[in-house]
Amino acid sequence: MGEAKHTEYRGSIHQRQKELMLKWYERLNEAAETGTPPTASLMISGNCVELLEAFGAVPIYPEVNALQLAIRHQSLEPILAAEELGYAPDNCAYVKADIGCYLKGITPTGGKLPKPDLVLCNFVGCNTYVKWFEHTAVLTGSKLYVLDVPFLREDDPSQADIDYVVRQLKELVTLLEQITGRKFDYDRFVEAVRCSAQVEELWSQIKHLARRSPSPFDAYFDAITLMGPLYVYRGTQEGVEFFRAALEEMQAKVAAHQGVYDQEKFRLVIEGPPPYPYFRTFRDMFARWKACTVASTYSTVGGLWEFGARHDPDHPFESVALHMLAQNVTNRNYLQRYEQIRRYLEEWNADGLIIHFVKSCRLFSAGQGDMRDYVTKTLGIPTLYIESDLEDPRYFAEAQTRNRIDAFFEALEHSKLTAKAV
Amino acid sequence: MRIAAGVDVGSTQTKAVVMADNGDRAILSRALVDTGANVRKAAENAFLAACHNAGIPPTDVGFVVGTGYGRYNISFGNAQLTEISCHARGAHFVCPTTRTVIDMGGQDAKAISVGSDGQVLDFVMNDKCAAGTGRFLANAADVMGIGLDEIGPLSQRATRPVRIATVCTVFVESDILSYLAQGKKGEDIMGGVHLAIAKRTLSLARRVPIEPDITMTGGVARNIGMVRALEEVLGTKMQVSPDAHFMGAIGAAVFALEKMDQSFEFSTWRPEHAAGSGH
Repeated sequence: MGEAKHTEYRGSIHQRQKELMLKWYERLNEAAETGTPPTASLMISGNCVELLEAFGAVPIYPEVNALQLAIRHQSLEPILAAEELGYAPDNCAYVKADIGCYLKGITPTGGKLPKPDLVLCNFVGCNTYVKWFEHTAVLTGSKLYVLDVPFLREDDPSQADIDYVVRQLKELVTLLEQITGRKFDYDRFVEAVRCSAQVEELWSQIKHLARRSPSPFDAYFDAITLMGPLYVYRGTQEGVEFFRAALEEMQAKVAAHQGVYDQEKFRLVIEGPPPYPYFRTFRDMFARWKACTVASTYSTVGGLWEFGARHDPDHPFESVALHMLAQNVTNRNYLQRYEQIRRYLEEWNADGLIIHFVKSCRLFSAGQGDMRDYVTKTLGIPTLYIESDLEDPRYFAEAQTRNRIDAFFEALEHSKLTAKAV
Repeated sequence: MRIAAGVDVGSTQTKAVVMADNGDRAILSRALVDTGANVRKAAENAFLAACHNAGIPPTDVGFVVGTGYGRYNISFGNAQLTEISCHARGAHFVCPTTRTVIDMGGQDAKAISVGSDGQVLDFVMNDKCAAGTGRFLANAADVMGIGLDEIGPLSQRATRPVRIATVCTVFVESDILSYLAQGKKGEDIMGGVHLAIAKRTLSLARRVPIEPDITMTGGVARNIGMVRALEEVLGTKMQVSPDAHFMGAIGAAVFALEKMDQSFEFSTWRPEHAAGSGH
């Protein structure tokens, strides 16, 4: 098998993504130095960033900051700083990395991060996150607003749930007017919701291209690259333009029958966030087998748009509320998560499932043993279960992880060869 | 006659097996050396010793497959495969009715579901923790001040095995010291230690379908106490070959012969690929 390091798809979208993310950090740096534009911290999953856009406010995503640190091999220092303060070793490592950044004054790019004008906790089914944002508010002295987004008790949210969240969003509008000193611009809000819907449509089309063989991009590793602009620029025209260009690039690859590798040998679905401190190493472990991810659950933490959900500019508040309730992977029940994986495996024509268990995230990882049983025993699809962490480098054992991945592909290759022989 | 070899570079010991195919496949020789700090040298020494034991020059060996954690360090190897594939293939070669492999080595415990042709259908391994592995037993033996080869037979004399609550390789030491201080008998302490590991291994193995016949492989299979404790919790007998310790190397040698026959075109890594690893 040939050398595969760094031979996978690198397109102009990868470069454009870097530029957009840098621009976002520059805006945050500007906010830190001048006090404008206004900023608010919020979470990725099920958020209401369109409302911020209506005030010209810039989102600060602590999760993005944490993962950017980890990719740059800088996450351990802030994690240790948080542990010195009293955070337990098995606390969410995203939380510790972010809190440690405030304590140590560390930022991913070396620039400044502003003290947020508002710490906006959009509850994502994770109690730890509420405590995280409470602590952030204490450390920064910023105002805290916690949105109470109900757990999904059934498959879809009730109208009462949607109305309940809409009332809070309208209360938040008043608060944002006070904090920013700016009048709520309803038209700008509707425009942001329209941009989000367009971005979601483009992103959905891109993800459906991965059904092709060969897939034009890796729906885990490349999707993670695209997820930065997806969250930071969702409600903006820049976001629309980025994803339009990305779709065109992917369509051209499909037309030219170009895959991620010169020959796509395996098609995978991956469940769970990646080990960011070893992102490159982890990718290489799959690349050397020419294994392309065609769908992933992690790329849906911001929303399950490939299955049809969209923001609706005709009902902006209601659609933002619905998004917060239902388009939030960690607020969905396990049977829904099973169904999502089953559809990926079958409709995206995958050979196997990789489950990456994240030590410090019970929310994402609890129940994955049962998920493995469901996929192997009920669906009869090979599944590999590996364990490390999304942020804490101390949990990653390279030799052991590589061993499991190599063994998985050896078995998968054998079964493909014998199936072909029959 | 085709001659091939398998070299299994484990965390504790390195095993080499030379096999011949003259219509029938047969093991010509085995060799065992401590891995130590120089993995490359250990692999070479084991291979040369196996060739010597077979009475053949190394140049007669047409293909070498390396396996185990140190497989990428086998400079003379033609191909590398994981020990998961190799233990399954080795167990199938030695005991063709094998459908489940329980492999206990120096730092790994695994359960492998095996197909009728020796292919891996599914596998699970211990987490990044030495509980349930040879290292756990070695630590327990050290604390008791007895040899590793003595603890199995000693555990067989247990009449009232103690309850070992921890499966932590480090904390088991204090558990054992505490029982010693209470005047518990060595055999009962060792009986408890073996039972604790057996139960942990069972919970691991249950994650793959445990189907007969079950074959135990790896260095720990030489410990009669561990074999019996596992059979007790499994509720069935296991197949334990005298070659259990060499099963990874045997499987690697079988793969090497198949590669020479071109009967199975599997993907392989060259050592230089490993050197290209990222991070």
